[in-house]
Amino acid sequence: MTKISVNPLARVEGNGGISVTIDGKAVTDVKFTVNEGPRLIERLTVGRTPEEDVSMSPRICAICSISHKNAVLRAMENALSVEVPAKVALIRELMHMGEMIESHSLHVYYLALPDYVGFPNAIAMASKYDFEVKIALEMKHFGNHIMKVIGGRYIHGENPVIGGFGKFPTEQELFWMKSRAIQFMPFVFKTLNLFCELDYPNCPEDDTVYACCDPGDDTYGFWGDEILLSTGERIFRDDYKKLTNEFIVSHSYAKRSRFNGKPYSVGALARVNVMGDRLKNESGKMYKKYFNDRWKTNPLFHNAAQALEILYCFERIPELVDDIVQYSEDPAIVPYTKKEGTGTGLVEAPRGLLIHHHEIKDGLVHHVDIVTPTAQNAEDIERYCYIAAQKLLDSGKEEDQIRDRLELVVRAFDPCISCSAHMADVKKAPPDDWKNKINKIMKKNSPVFIGVGRPDRSDDGVGIQLALELRKHRGYDVFLESEIEEDETLWEDNSDRPLIFLDAVDFQEETGKVTLLAMNHVLNNVALSHKFLPIVSGLMNYKQLKNAYMLGIQPQSIANGGEINDSVKKAMDDVLAELLDAMDLN
Amino acid sequence: MNNNKPKIGIYELTGCAGDALLILDCEEELLDIFQAADIQSFLMAKSDNIDGELDVALVEGSVTTEKEIEELKDIRQRAKIVVAIGLCATAGGLQARFTDPQEWEKNLEKVYGDVEMIHTKALQSKPIDNYIDVDFYLPGCPIGKEQFLNFFTRLVGGSPPEKYPNPVCVTCKYNENSCLLKQGLPCLGPLTADGCGSVCINHNLPCLGCWGPVEGANLTSEFYLLKEKGFDTEYIKKIMANYSGTKNKTFFDQLEKEIS
Repeated sequence: MTKISVNPLARVEGNGGISVTIDGKAVTDVKFTVNEGPRLIERLTVGRTPEEDVSMSPRICAICSISHKNAVLRAMENALSVEVPAKVALIRELMHMGEMIESHSLHVYYLALPDYVGFPNAIAMASKYDFEVKIALEMKHFGNHIMKVIGGRYIHGENPVIGGFGKFPTEQELFWMKSRAIQFMPFVFKTLNLFCELDYPNCPEDDTVYACCDPGDDTYGFWGDEILLSTGERIFRDDYKKLTNEFIVSHSYAKRSRFNGKPYSVGALARVNVMGDRLKNESGKMYKKYFNDRWKTNPLFHNAAQALEILYCFERIPELVDDIVQYSEDPAIVPYTKKEGTGTGLVEAPRGLLIHHHEIKDGLVHHVDIVTPTAQNAEDIERYCYIAAQKLLDSGKEEDQIRDRLELVVRAFDPCISCSAHMADVKKAPPDDWKNKINKIMKKNSPVFIGVGRPDRSDDGVGIQLALELRKHRGYDVFLESEIEEDETLWEDNSDRPLIFLDAVDFQEETGKVTLLAMNHVLNNVALSHKFLPIVSGLMNYKQLKNAYMLGIQPQSIANGGEINDSVKKAMDDVLAELLDAMDLN
Repeated sequence: MNNNKPKIGIYELTGCAGDALLILDCEEELLDIFQAADIQSFLMAKSDNIDGELDVALVEGSVTTEKEIEELKDIRQRAKIVVAIGLCATAGGLQARFTDPQEWEKNLEKVYGDVEMIHTKALQSKPIDNYIDVDFYLPGCPIGKEQFLNFFTRLVGGSPPEKYPNPVCVTCKYNENSCLLKQGLPCLGPLTADGCGSVCINHNLPCLGCWGPVEGANLTSEFYLLKEKGFDTEYIKKIMANYSGTKNKTFFDQLEKEIS
């Protein structure tokens, strides 16, 4: 068994990795891990005042510190019924533009581009792309400058507070930002053309659900009070758990999310997919020029979407400055007196939807829930890595090539791992890997077995026959496909027990090879999806899906009629013996 | 060709990655930084990292897993000079708030439930000098650009880094701010190491203490001054604890005895 690791994955912000296990011709395991330790930020702020919370909770992540600041402020102001003056809201938006520009230009030029032009890092890339590297730095510096002037410093600035700002930037500083933004335009277009015309590989491709905040009024933007999905569904800010439904997986200290049992993606690509048609002016024209169907299914286009957003930001800054100076009479800060309340703040961080939920009781923080973009993307990162790894393996690619592609995929999501990961690990499974795994699964809790297949189609009958044999030996919980399709109570009654499906699975391997796969990988692999499986996975909740497995035996033939092949039969006896042994041990 | 340049590694343990990011934020100086030193390892910036002998290791973040202790000890073995950068490395960071083991455990469970983590064991957050000898400290949440560049230039040039023995108040006076403590605001300037340029006070906001405690700070005097200004004991203890990591533990223990 081969294991491909990129662990730690360099050039992502934070400390994490992706590891992929290959057993012969099957990718049997994909894990996206966050190596960083727990920081318990959501608990640190409990018992503090709302003002202390506003200063502490954005320290989750340096890269998105302004997004966290805007999110916690929106949450607090919703909780304490604070309405900020128009000028405050506009200057906060300008500050947000600074972070978008800084983060996107760092990511596209310094973290992503070296992969596409064949250099280990941006500094080495400078030997050939001297101009780009230099001007990209200036662009990043401009974003930082905006954050420093408005926020107080580059990272974790304390000037934005509940009700407004300690101090407004001066008109002179604002006009400088406007004229500097206009000066950058030629390079901004160069950036857009470069990243929209980059030669992105076709693999991986798959549908997903995209989610972002809706700024309302049919405008493009980076915050709002509703979450809008590419399916057209809307979720009000306080109901965010409908989308995120967080749960914790054991190989990672970042919490994860999943929408209705389906993974979803957030970030620049999600925003462009959901509301790109609202872009106006030059960014509207460029959206029409470059956006196409590939942007809907290929995560590598995150880079192109970020470049489009850089243009959007540079167009937005002069507009914002012109608006801000209209409100010369607005106060920098408004007072508030409320001591109780619950509020949710939705913000688009550069890497996607960021949710802050804060509850205040007796003037002190009582409960905090923060859902970061990387936590929401983790499932899709694993899924797209699985799809890429299996597809490249099918086409005969070597481990190195698979590893390179996985890095490209993970990096495209621009994961900020401190907010919750450095990256890919590809390893070969040891012989008889399935035996170790099945023992581990059975040690935790006694499993429910389900035989799947068509007994009238030669080797495809092996799952059913295996189930029947198992049932004969002991009174364990064994079902046949035909017995459970209608039986919804089965899932409820056995919600904590692992489900093991027994079936013939074609991996183009030698006949009789046994493979154990996590069920969500089976669902991601079109070649393996049995017509029965979508039905079953629709009945299971996500926790069950995570605890479901497919024990597959490589068939020789699944033609109508015919006997089960001898190698398949032998594999079946092996599996049976192993299962019975494992049960005896437990 | 890099033989006579100092070999430098930049490492991240648990934190927000703000200190490493701040180094990348030195846009105008970044190319010079990479030219003046042989940057052997810097995960946030490059993928061809080498873990070999080092002249200087800059370590960001606090230790919160068993794996990080091993990593840190390995860095110490390979490096002639180890520098703690940022509040998490120098003092344990925000995440060191739960100094009591039982309280920490309870809170870990509240966030992560009883899920058993398979890759490494979680620990209470500690600054890096809890596990290894540290040669220099560069505090800040995150570190400041001016302080970092001064520090880096001297280190690369073979000189010992400048010391910053003053509290925030010294710079604050140079900046001609009027004293917020006198106005009755809970400003922690007198307790806090200098290096930020008194940025919060420049914005009419009280100092939060995010550079960590300055050596020789008169904690007792600040405590009673804030009491006099009408703040309650619990609030003062909390704001003094927020950014001081594990460093003021002795003071808090003593205070506990004194006021009870």
